[in-house]
Amino acid sequence: MTYPSFLWLIALPLVTAPLVYLAGRLGKRIGQRVLAQGAAIASLLAAWMPFILASVELRIYGPHSFAAEAISLRLDGMGLLLAGLSLGLGTLVVLFSGSYMANEAGEEKYYAMLVAMIGVMIGLGCTGDLFNLWIWFEAMAVSSYLLVAFYRDQPASLEAGIKYLVQSAAGSVLVLLGIGLVLSQTGTLDLMEILTIAETSPLMLAAGALFLIGFGVKTALVPLHTWLPDAHAQAPSGISAMLSGVVIEAGMIAMLRSLLALTGVESLWGPLLMGFGALNMLAGNLLAFGQKQVKRMLAYSSLVHIGYMLVGLGITFYAGESGGAQGGLFHMLNHGLMKGMAFLAAGTLLYALHLSLGDHKPLLIADLAGAAKRYPIAALTLSLAVLGLGGLPPLAGFMSKWQIFVAGFETHNAWIGALVAFAALNSVFSLAYYAPLVNAVYRLEPSESVLSGKPLSGLMKVPLIVLGLATVAIGIWPALLDWLTVPAGATVLVGLGG
Amino acid sequence: MNPTTLKLCLMAVLSLVGIGLYGLMICRNLIKMVIVLQILVKAAALGLILAGQMSSQINLGQSLGITVIVADTIVAVVGMALAVQVQRRLGTLDVDALSSLRG
Repeated sequence: MTYPSFLWLIALPLVTAPLVYLAGRLGKRIGQRVLAQGAAIASLLAAWMPFILASVELRIYGPHSFAAEAISLRLDGMGLLLAGLSLGLGTLVVLFSGSYMANEAGEEKYYAMLVAMIGVMIGLGCTGDLFNLWIWFEAMAVSSYLLVAFYRDQPASLEAGIKYLVQSAAGSVLVLLGIGLVLSQTGTLDLMEILTIAETSPLMLAAGALFLIGFGVKTALVPLHTWLPDAHAQAPSGISAMLSGVVIEAGMIAMLRSLLALTGVESLWGPLLMGFGALNMLAGNLLAFGQKQVKRMLAYSSLVHIGYMLVGLGITFYAGESGGAQGGLFHMLNHGLMKGMAFLAAGTLLYALHLSLGDHKPLLIADLAGAAKRYPIAALTLSLAVLGLGGLPPLAGFMSKWQIFVAGFETHNAWIGALVAFAALNSVFSLAYYAPLVNAVYRLEPSESVLSGKPLSGLMKVPLIVLGLATVAIGIWPALLDWLTVPAGATVLVGLGG
Repeated sequence: MNPTTLKLCLMAVLSLVGIGLYGLMICRNLIKMVIVLQILVKAAALGLILAGQMSSQINLGQSLGITVIVADTIVAVVGMALAVQVQRRLGTLDVDALSSLRG
């Protein structure tokens, strides 16, 4: 029996995560603290090989499955996109975490959980069975609870961890009840089979609603978002980048997969997704506006970007054209890169100004005044990231938003046209809180905390530079990522029976 | 399974979900909160077994139920671990003591 290469892609991080932990313990004993980080980097770099093979296989053979007993895996465009995003951002976060996490108790657990979480998210994208989907989802949740509450001696981190755990666990129970309803009505858990069997009935409709709410907690649909700003702001900055850049997107992929299986049941999903998208954009913008803490502001802006993605996906659910989903998934990638860069840049500054001096104060926008004079690279990448998130051309964020807007206008539906115009207005409005940040960093006189900050290590700047170059490159040549976004958009269409 | 038993099981699932959601709203103690979450999970496990029975695949239903219990025990353990840390740092298990993060 031959194993497809995407199986290795999932298995490598999962198998090596305990080894990373052991390497870290060994490193502590022999006084080589870098061993944990080194093992984590080696593990993720090794996973790039099967990723490249899997993407070639997907291009040649198309989507293919693997099944062993109750485990059902299937590689398609959407799975590859999530794998690429989590592996790419994950590798950079591990690189970044070197000096950020040095001297923290339990550093080896951090790397081990991070590597395991990346493996689990790749698995989540590649599942072909509803119950397997829940298992991956729950495993991702458990690993992220521990990472959010990593600073266990800080009451604020514990508070964020508990809020996140309770809301997320309640959501996952709702998903399970939905799975029960689907099983009782169709007699199967295979996503493809459900799609062909499922018929309209009140119970199936309820199942869809349970999936929307249950996965919606993790995706941070307003009003189920209340855990998000706390968790994103309190986690170590590398984890904030992963949570905002990949974990909520993984929740969205899970929601998408379950709803795609139920498209035969109801045509309401498209308008529902678009409605939640509009709500997310509005609420996220209003909440982000007026935030004084940098990481909280970035966390709220994630709500807005989830909104854009939902609008794009909703357009495809409604109109059956691949443009919207392709744009939405492209925005998912871009948001991962830009928000990852924003959190990592904010993290370097937080580290330099507060953490390295031993205090766990939040990073305020006022603290960043004049930061460009002492920390030019961190300031430049932070500004690039927020301007890209605000949708300024020629950065990556502009291109994916543009694709969503074009797809919306092509439906020639007045309501969708109005929604897209609303999204564009929101995009402009978001500059109202991004621009003051750039202004503070570049135009104000250095604040006291900037003057008393520690210098940055070279390795921390590498991920920032890589992400910054990627954001500019994708903005100028958006076709650079077509090999990921086109098959992913096609997956949504296949699910819709188009 | 006769229809009465089926209905009884369905009632049990629904009332466990009701108790769980109500408890989640009124509980202010972290340990109780973890227990309430477990009640919800048990409702879901029973629901899955019932779904297996209704689609005449009781074996599948039961194995799903057991898997759910195993998976969610891990969540309970993590929840308890966080509760222990809260008790150590703050000296209380009251959720209202954890309200520094706002806005």
